[in-house]
Amino acid sequence: MAAQPKPLPIETPNYLQGGGLIGWLTTVDHKRVAVLYALSAFVFMAIGGIEAMLIRIQLWSPENHFLTAGVYNQLFTMHGTTMIFLVVMPLEIGFFSNFVMPLQIGARDVAFPRLNAMSFWLALAGGIFLHLGWIWGGLPDAGWFGYANLTERYFSPGLNLDFWVVGLLILGVSTLASGLNFFVTIVAMRAKGMSYMRMPMFVWAVLITSILILIAFPPLTVGLVFLLLDRFFGTHFYVAAYGATPILWQHLFWLFGHPEVYIMALPAFGMISEILPVFSRKPLFGYPMMAYSIILIAFLSYGVWGHHMFATGMGPVADSAFAITSMLIAIPTGIKVFSWLATVWGGSLRMTTAFYFGLGFILEFTIGGLSGVMHATAPVDLQQTDSYFVVAHFHYVLFGGVMFAILGAIYYWWPKVTGRMLSERLGKLQFWLTVIGFNGTFFPMHFLGMWGMPRRIYTYGAGLGWTSLNQLETVSAFILGLAFLVMYYNLIKSTLSGEKASADPWDGRSLEWSIASPPPAYNFAHVPEVRGRDAYWVMKYGRAGSRGVAMFVAGQVPPVPESMQAPPTEPIHMPAPSIFPLFIALGLSIAGAGLVMGLWRLIILGGVTLFTSAVAMGFEYPSYGQEPHDLEEIAPSSGGIDLRKAGLWAFLGSECVFFASLIATYVVYKSRNVGGPGAGILEIPLTSVSTFALLMSSLAMVLALNAIQQNKKNMMRLWLAVTISLGLVFLGVEAYEFAHFYHQGLAMQTDLFGQSFFTLVGFHGFHVSVGVLWLATVWFASFSPKFDKSRALSVEMAGLYWHFVDIVWVIIFTLVYLMQQVKGA
Amino acid sequence: MKRAFQLISSAMVAASMFLAGCAQGRKLPMTTLAPKSDLADWIYRLFIEVTLWDGLVLAIVIVAFLLAIFVFSTRVGEAAPPSSAASDLKLEVAWTVGPALILLMITIPTIRTIFRSQPNLPPAGALEIKVVAHQWWWEFQYGDKDHVITANEMHIPVGVPIRLTLQSGDVIHSFWVPQLGGKRDVVPGQLNELTFIAYVPGVYPGQCAEFCGESHANMRFRVFVDTPQQFAEWEKGQSTMPTAGAAMTDKAAARGAQVFSNSPCAACHRIDGVSKGYIGPDLSHFGSRTTMASAIEANTPANVADWIVNPGRVKPGAQMPKLGLSGTQLNDLVAYLENLK
Repeated sequence: MAAQPKPLPIETPNYLQGGGLIGWLTTVDHKRVAVLYALSAFVFMAIGGIEAMLIRIQLWSPENHFLTAGVYNQLFTMHGTTMIFLVVMPLEIGFFSNFVMPLQIGARDVAFPRLNAMSFWLALAGGIFLHLGWIWGGLPDAGWFGYANLTERYFSPGLNLDFWVVGLLILGVSTLASGLNFFVTIVAMRAKGMSYMRMPMFVWAVLITSILILIAFPPLTVGLVFLLLDRFFGTHFYVAAYGATPILWQHLFWLFGHPEVYIMALPAFGMISEILPVFSRKPLFGYPMMAYSIILIAFLSYGVWGHHMFATGMGPVADSAFAITSMLIAIPTGIKVFSWLATVWGGSLRMTTAFYFGLGFILEFTIGGLSGVMHATAPVDLQQTDSYFVVAHFHYVLFGGVMFAILGAIYYWWPKVTGRMLSERLGKLQFWLTVIGFNGTFFPMHFLGMWGMPRRIYTYGAGLGWTSLNQLETVSAFILGLAFLVMYYNLIKSTLSGEKASADPWDGRSLEWSIASPPPAYNFAHVPEVRGRDAYWVMKYGRAGSRGVAMFVAGQVPPVPESMQAPPTEPIHMPAPSIFPLFIALGLSIAGAGLVMGLWRLIILGGVTLFTSAVAMGFEYPSYGQEPHDLEEIAPSSGGIDLRKAGLWAFLGSECVFFASLIATYVVYKSRNVGGPGAGILEIPLTSVSTFALLMSSLAMVLALNAIQQNKKNMMRLWLAVTISLGLVFLGVEAYEFAHFYHQGLAMQTDLFGQSFFTLVGFHGFHVSVGVLWLATVWFASFSPKFDKSRALSVEMAGLYWHFVDIVWVIIFTLVYLMQQVKGA
Repeated sequence: MKRAFQLISSAMVAASMFLAGCAQGRKLPMTTLAPKSDLADWIYRLFIEVTLWDGLVLAIVIVAFLLAIFVFSTRVGEAAPPSSAASDLKLEVAWTVGPALILLMITIPTIRTIFRSQPNLPPAGALEIKVVAHQWWWEFQYGDKDHVITANEMHIPVGVPIRLTLQSGDVIHSFWVPQLGGKRDVVPGQLNELTFIAYVPGVYPGQCAEFCGESHANMRFRVFVDTPQQFAEWEKGQSTMPTAGAAMTDKAAARGAQVFSNSPCAACHRIDGVSKGYIGPDLSHFGSRTTMASAIEANTPANVADWIVNPGRVKPGAQMPKLGLSGTQLNDLVAYLENLK
């Protein structure tokens, strides 16, 4: 499988050709991974759509008995979960970001191709996991935001929510890996001349989305881990009887959940910002403000989660604060809407389907944004939240906004993906059916909400005046369903027999249009040099191009410059395919299934598969290139940032939020503790010793790195051994401490202090163990004769992680141990 | 495209006329747009204010949108050269500052209403009612010593400040009577409050608004806003012990009292002076209620019998088991319950 670099033939096959089934299962090509994402998302979209249709049939009339309450609850839970996690995010992040973003920045792949493949297989595994309830146990049924304490084992005894918890955890790992991957790709792999302020707006959106993923998913992970511990191991993170509060889940969930809205919305903003300029033949209006407003939206989105919780009784001060921050988000959003309008204004418009959807987006999304302002108005929200008004609002944002953008993007980029044009006639038909069906389904929901209809009810009484609007909605929903049937037909028919697409069918502005459709596996025969914003436009028309070329006549697009078409002059070696990303996903799924079914053997089997695949993947590395910096050769890093180091920094940033969530939980729950031994059980002198050991280990780590940088290999090995030993001392003391507490009657299930202490300190201990393993690996590797100064980076990386883990401990030791002492004295 | 535009606009006019027609020609007992309390009224006024601002912005966007597409642009192939403006500082400042000012106009009354509607202490002379939410029914307790306990139908006097304290017996629920004000969640382990004064006597349907499990849709209730006189009468009736079984004039009801005491009913349901169950709703004055099964059905003997035979058919997931009662026993029990006035 290790492709020896060899000169490529003149007629290079495109990325879709060759390889067979095995080729697809082992692919690490970002474009193939993207296509896999799209295929799975289109299947899940059909499932989620059918769920929506069934919901609409049930709501046709009052006291309808088409579905039972139980089935209905499963359907709306799965509709939401599917559309968000298995359709919108995979299409935007898995498909479009994956396919288009590297092309737009002039890269040959993403930073970590195998991690990218792993993201996909995990996403597929998570999606299948959520649907396992079809086979046994029933589908998840507590809503997509699964509010505790309804999700506790006592109230939801079935397997339904077990699949949900484990499925979402798997999807979380997948998304986090994508976020990290794309972040590093954009930061470090842009072509020469592609400065930040020259990046296409879609790339800006993906960059900021990736950062949001890195900081928003950890709170969800922590919330899910707590729920998992509650359901499987008898803790009480959300049980009021033990002094805990189910509201903790809402804080953790919405701290993820609101940024999640922008994780879905920002890529859509990016797509629209690509589509509108191309079909208006004008540059994007107000580019700097468009970029800054994305950053501002992302920043604000992290401080508005409370507006989902106005009804929970946070008190007037918190209500006001969250009302103000939520209002503020409307300002950058308004800037975007007006700038899009200004982009179209004065343009030379080409009325394609993609442009139709882009224009439709502006109006539909504006309606959704404006009803959002009503929700920011906290007292008004008290009438609207959990009513059909809110259902109308978020469908205007997520369908009228995000889905319109996705549909536009499908029509816009499909020629690049498949090499075939989609039928415009069917496209326009789909557009009008969508507009009628969508508005007919969701606009009346504003009224139903104001007339008092709560969401998530499987039945409603007659005589409340809700029937006829519900019937209008159901009819419209079927028109919307028809629109999607047209789309599926168009996708299949045009891909098989549609008109062949040229490299640049739209007279595009960004680099993906400078290469063949579909692109060759290596994307760019020659990595382009970027000379301005709208990189390809400048290449075609020169800097003053936008003013000089007024008219577009079909067939008169300037040809792709020869410099971009010429076959590669030197060998391009791409990362070799690998089966291990698939095996890693398989291992994690098997372990998850074992957990749900309570079979330890399956958990162990899955764990072993996971671990061996990961190790095997590590050893695979040198097989496609002998140098450790191989990837950098494929796509030179901009700014000299090492990809792996950038990746580690991004990961550690995400870890900070993870630990912050655990620490916040500890601080809140320690003060609410009732009964049990409480924090008085902690022994400061003992842990002071282990803390000292850990701090000293950081010093030893610094010395080890210093030694290898001076090529003193033995010295490095010695200091590395010291670091590992001190780490082991720390772990030993921690193990003793845990056992000691357990004998004194403090287990994880005992009280709030116990559960939050053991999860916080336990997760930290787990990180120390990983660090020890990592350092040990480096230590063993250092016996290889090739290990010298040039490998200092692998020591530096391990060290970076080690220092991070130590710093976290300093915070934990201060907060958990020392502050307790001060309070006691 | 022009034709399409005409089509859309006429469709929009038709749709709004249809919606307006819907709103006028029917009863909307749960509408938020006909406030019947001070709280609901404050929210309604704020809602109208925000809607007007929103309408203004939407109108600007629509006009700009139509102008951009139909007036100030050309089509591909047409002669006029397109503008190539990629930025305009004045414009960009305008559409940053303009919306900011509008938001400021909205924020001020918002914060005023937030503080006005959440008083720290109950207003003077407030009637305090303890609301306990269960899967899937509502319990209302009046006074310090709970001298009135009832379920699914809450009575309050008009014009008197009402202070509800909300507690949950199991999961999170949300108390919502649209015409009397916004929602307040009912959270286990947390005491939430809701304060309002009802203005207009009447019967107002309410419903749980936070998904709370299988029969969330069936967790409804009613609020009766009574004149002071009606309320006093009702309160007096509710705090009197119901007529005991043997003393009942109705023979069937008297026999039904025996059925109640000898069956598992008594283990879960309280009847003042008869049984002390607390898992299910208090039945002391069941016969005085207009609805049953958390207000999803009218309180008629046939419905009550139906419920006793198979509670899960009426309310999926209901905790009450089938009791296997039928024939005379069933009819007697129903007669007894309906006699508990």
